[in-house]
Amino acid sequence: MAKRKWLSLAAALAGLALVVTACGSGGGGAGGSESGAAGTIKIGVTAPLSGDYASAGTDIVNAAKLAADEINAKGGVLGKKIEIVAEDDQCDSQVGVQAAQKLMDEGVVAVAGGYCSSASIPETGVLAQKHVAFVADASTNPDLTDKNPGNVFRVIGRDDQQGPFAAKFIAEVLGAKKAAVIHDNTTYAKGLAEEAKKGLEADGVQVVYFDAITPGEKDYTSTLTTVKGLNPDVIYYTGYFAEAGLLVKQARELGITATFMGGDATQDPTLIATAGDKAEGMIITTAPLPQFLTGAQDFVQSYKSKYGQDPGPYSVYEYDCVKLVADAIQRANSTDPEKIVEALKQTKNYKGLTGDITFNEKGDRTGELYITTIVKDGKFQPYKKYENGQWVDIQ
Amino acid sequence: MSAFLQFLVNGLTVGSFYALVALGYTMIYGIIRLINFAHGDIFMVGAFVGWTVLAALAASHLPALAALGVALVVAMAATGALGLVIERVAYQPLLKAPRLSILITALGASLALENGVMLKYGAGFETYPHLLAGAGFSVLGAQVKYAQVGFFLLSLALMAGLYLFVHRTPVGTAMRALALDQDAARLMGVNVEGVIMLTFFLGSALAAAAGVMYGTYYTQINFMMGFLLGLRAFTAAVLGGIGNIPGAMVGGLLIGLLEAFSSGYISGQWKDVIVFAVLILVLVVKPTGLFGERVVERM
Repeated sequence: MAKRKWLSLAAALAGLALVVTACGSGGGGAGGSESGAAGTIKIGVTAPLSGDYASAGTDIVNAAKLAADEINAKGGVLGKKIEIVAEDDQCDSQVGVQAAQKLMDEGVVAVAGGYCSSASIPETGVLAQKHVAFVADASTNPDLTDKNPGNVFRVIGRDDQQGPFAAKFIAEVLGAKKAAVIHDNTTYAKGLAEEAKKGLEADGVQVVYFDAITPGEKDYTSTLTTVKGLNPDVIYYTGYFAEAGLLVKQARELGITATFMGGDATQDPTLIATAGDKAEGMIITTAPLPQFLTGAQDFVQSYKSKYGQDPGPYSVYEYDCVKLVADAIQRANSTDPEKIVEALKQTKNYKGLTGDITFNEKGDRTGELYITTIVKDGKFQPYKKYENGQWVDIQ
Repeated sequence: MSAFLQFLVNGLTVGSFYALVALGYTMIYGIIRLINFAHGDIFMVGAFVGWTVLAALAASHLPALAALGVALVVAMAATGALGLVIERVAYQPLLKAPRLSILITALGASLALENGVMLKYGAGFETYPHLLAGAGFSVLGAQVKYAQVGFFLLSLALMAGLYLFVHRTPVGTAMRALALDQDAARLMGVNVEGVIMLTFFLGSALAAAAGVMYGTYYTQINFMMGFLLGLRAFTAAVLGGIGNIPGAMVGGLLIGLLEAFSSGYISGQWKDVIVFAVLILVLVVKPTGLFGERVVERM
């Protein structure tokens, strides 16, 4: 393991060097918006526009601009056009704070965006000083809303919602009595496994096995032999795709017939390549990709024709964020940031592409934000989602 | 009972891979006192060579076993040659230098192999074709696959072949002589450099055989796969008494069994703790390992 530590140290140093040089040339992202046409309403977007996550940031800003164009084509809001002001936060807390400050100097009425929680969380603190709303499209860390200074709203799920969702699916759709939960001791996987265990026990499913495997190994038959002896109805693995492929393959070869399920990090073609036909029927809990969302097809089409590429995984959420802010401005009948925050708090069943949006007192979205997919004919295909109090097939 | 048998089967399967790789560590240590850190990566390269051959043969409609045979032979030859080249380039010039220098070059060779494969094949995973359908039989409730039996027997055959080669042929005798005393062996007319090259070739070829079998059996390979397995195999060599060939075989199987039983009966998280605790206990009682002799007869 010592070798890995050295590698990661070297990577960290290289990353530090990048950050330092990037700081030197600091954010030119906003560009010509300074002059700002008279009579526009500015909505800010923070996202990583340089560095490792630049492509994700670009997907987000593109979606925001697409939403603004559509609103403006219909005459804008309160008789004014919407203008998107993008600032690079580099997924970095320091740069993010500066980006948020710049956006406020530009006079944005609200911010819709963010990608890395590590940058979004400090940004919300800066914006809160002037009661500017922050509507998050992609940051899933629970802290974002758990430490909400009063101006934060989130249209995507939280990391700790997936576990209870999986538990509900296991209890209600699969009707399981006994479940085995396996993780790989990484922060994400262990957290998800613990949430799932809590949810399962609350839903009356007995967790007969809860333990970790060592990621990077290839033979998990001994762990699976023990699991087999406990005879669970379902096995839920919360780690990553490489081990998930081996686990499902070896489980089937051992003659385990329990339903095999995985968390959202298992949804990768490598899983199917590794396990072959043994992966068939495996069920995955995941945030919906745009192609699995009913009603998002028009969005996918216009995004493609405008930018010549598929939208990113969070583009549709950002699109909803910008449209929602515009809707809140309309309802507040004002561009005063504080009144927009109040209007956002009142949001009830706003019809977004990602479904109905209502916020709870924390600023998190209510309702189920996860869906299940199933491996069928060697592909991940949409399976079931929870809607209006019941489980329905996704069409 | 069925669980016990299943752990036994699993342990022997994993153990035979460890044993094949451990042989390379032990042979090279025996002959030039070098812990060849690159050996785990040689195993990884073997798996990638085998994968490349199988991918090339995919269109030929060769029966699965024949294709596997070709992949094994090609991978063993190519990787054996690679081991030999590494010895010539990285180790041979340093044989008379302080031990630390050659240890550092071994680390360098390991990094070069890992990153070279990453540049060529990418950092993601490659998957072996599903050659063996996973068919098998059941013994008292334990599932045994034909592939497990086949690979286990093949490993035993390779180990037995190596043992006979070292103990029953003139070249093997030269190897053992070299392990005892290099200068004396040279005075007796042993071609020292040739024997060292042959040792590297054999060790690397065995690791490559393990690599191809491993890839076929688990189907998933990537450029870092040699690291964890190499570490375990090295542990096996030390447990059996580094420098001792039967020791490496027994050590490998023992580590495999220990892992299977501890992750089965106790917890997957405690597996490494238990394996290394046993290693420490053995070394406290018998510092030379299970089969290591106080008298330095190393092969």
